[in-house]
Amino acid sequence: MLLALIKIAVLVFVLMTATAYLVLLERWVAAWVQDRVGPNRVGIPLTKVRLWGLGQPLADGVKMLLKEQYVPSHVDKFLYTLAPISIMASALALFAVVPFGTIDLGGGYILDLVVAPGIDVGLIYIFALSSVGVYGVILGGWASNNKYSFLGALRSSAQLIAYEIPLGLGILGVILMSNSLRLEEVVNQQAELGVWFAFLQPIGFLVFLVAACAEAGRLPFDLPEAEQELVCGYHTEYSGMRLVMYASAEFIHMITAAVLIVLLFLGGWHFWGITGSEPVAGLGLGLVRLLILLGKIFLVIFLFMMVRWSWPRFRFDQLMSLAWKVMLPLGIVNLVVVAVAVEYFNDAIHERPWLASAVMWAIAIVVWVVTAIVNPRRDDTNLPRLNDELYRPDELGPPSGGYATADLTAAR
Amino acid sequence: MQTPSAMLPIALFIILATALPVGMLVAAKLVGPKKRRGAVKDMPYESGMDPIHGTRRRFDVRFHLVAIAFLVFDVELLFLYPWAVASRDHSAAGPEGVDWAVGEHLVSGRGIVFAGVMIFTFLLALGFAYDWKKGVFRWR
Repeated sequence: MLLALIKIAVLVFVLMTATAYLVLLERWVAAWVQDRVGPNRVGIPLTKVRLWGLGQPLADGVKMLLKEQYVPSHVDKFLYTLAPISIMASALALFAVVPFGTIDLGGGYILDLVVAPGIDVGLIYIFALSSVGVYGVILGGWASNNKYSFLGALRSSAQLIAYEIPLGLGILGVILMSNSLRLEEVVNQQAELGVWFAFLQPIGFLVFLVAACAEAGRLPFDLPEAEQELVCGYHTEYSGMRLVMYASAEFIHMITAAVLIVLLFLGGWHFWGITGSEPVAGLGLGLVRLLILLGKIFLVIFLFMMVRWSWPRFRFDQLMSLAWKVMLPLGIVNLVVVAVAVEYFNDAIHERPWLASAVMWAIAIVVWVVTAIVNPRRDDTNLPRLNDELYRPDELGPPSGGYATADLTAAR
Repeated sequence: MQTPSAMLPIALFIILATALPVGMLVAAKLVGPKKRRGAVKDMPYESGMDPIHGTRRRFDVRFHLVAIAFLVFDVELLFLYPWAVASRDHSAAGPEGVDWAVGEHLVSGRGIVFAGVMIFTFLLALGFAYDWKKGVFRWR
């Protein structure tokens, strides 16, 4: 119990600090991509030490704490407060089953670097809690009683539930191959095999990567809060500490997505020639493994950031057709391929994992080509239909009653 | 096997993870400046325009269709999870224990389960194709 408390405290502290500094990192990356200087001023107060802007997150935190906790009068007060609390609580509590390795401290004492060791349903728990995050978004958008918020929440719910299915299908392939819902077990099997699941099921990896990115609401998929269209989306009416909760939940979601990608598909703490493949490591090796795990997570987060600052945003119909018409079929194909492979070629996979992954990649390329040929982009019924009269006024001539203008006074 | 005490840290984590944002709110309430209200400040933000009508109106049915499609696929996915975990679990029911004799052939129980899941997936794909054909996924 005490050990669990200590682990929770350490984990929450690390997560909150990481979140604060990821905001700074994100701004640095943005500045680097856009050839700017970026935040580099805030250092130690009352001195001239700048520390490359490392004081920025602390200053931001203090500023947000000292803001007025404003609740507009037109909102549903209870839900308005409940929404950010629920989204942040679910984002944090998800880490209860995320394993960071197992260290043998000597003297027969084995330390599991996970808050709740030995949970058999870890992946289900993560899946369940990541769904709770949707409630925070929808509740916030609804309670705000603002059209931007409401539209953002609706879009967000449509997006999050659409991408939850490819996410589940991607996880299903991993479960099939490792036969376990325990994240420790999934990582151990990859280490034992010496080949990460990203190599063994490339389609599943691709589907999961895209779906996790969409679930985290990162830029190519950040329709719920598209600034140019919806101001801030579901948290337009939020300010002060409640906004901090939404913002940090967003960054925690990104960390979660990166952690899951690393654990499920990129071998967790495993790296060839450095970490070995035993489930339990000594103190020194355990720390090396932890560093490798954190390094991988950092690389995936960095990938997310680079994607954010180099890709334009999808249009909403593109987003939905990507989920339903590309990712869902690919996920089903991955499920069938992995199921057949595990059912009939399980021994072969374990004897020659690299050959197996080469075959899997060949299948993936074939599937990719087929997908490219039957690309739904050719389906131009998918394009948004604008009102023809408004769209081609010159060809059609003015409508009989003249162009319609919005009569605001009547609608009010 | 799972003991309830193994779940205790999770319960603890959920409680503390809820307590943290609540504590943040309380701290900010104690430290932050007093609230000042005003008619303009209390208005819903609509980019500086006066709000034309309320938010609680009907909205487009396409969100509803997506939600229904999600429900179908998500529930079907959940059926596949137990199979994915137990498909190679020999401890629960040994490979011999679930074999059936069909005529003079001995059919492996695992083979039947695998065929069942494949048929299930095929039906899922069929339903998916039907939805696609019906235009459920077309975002008009």
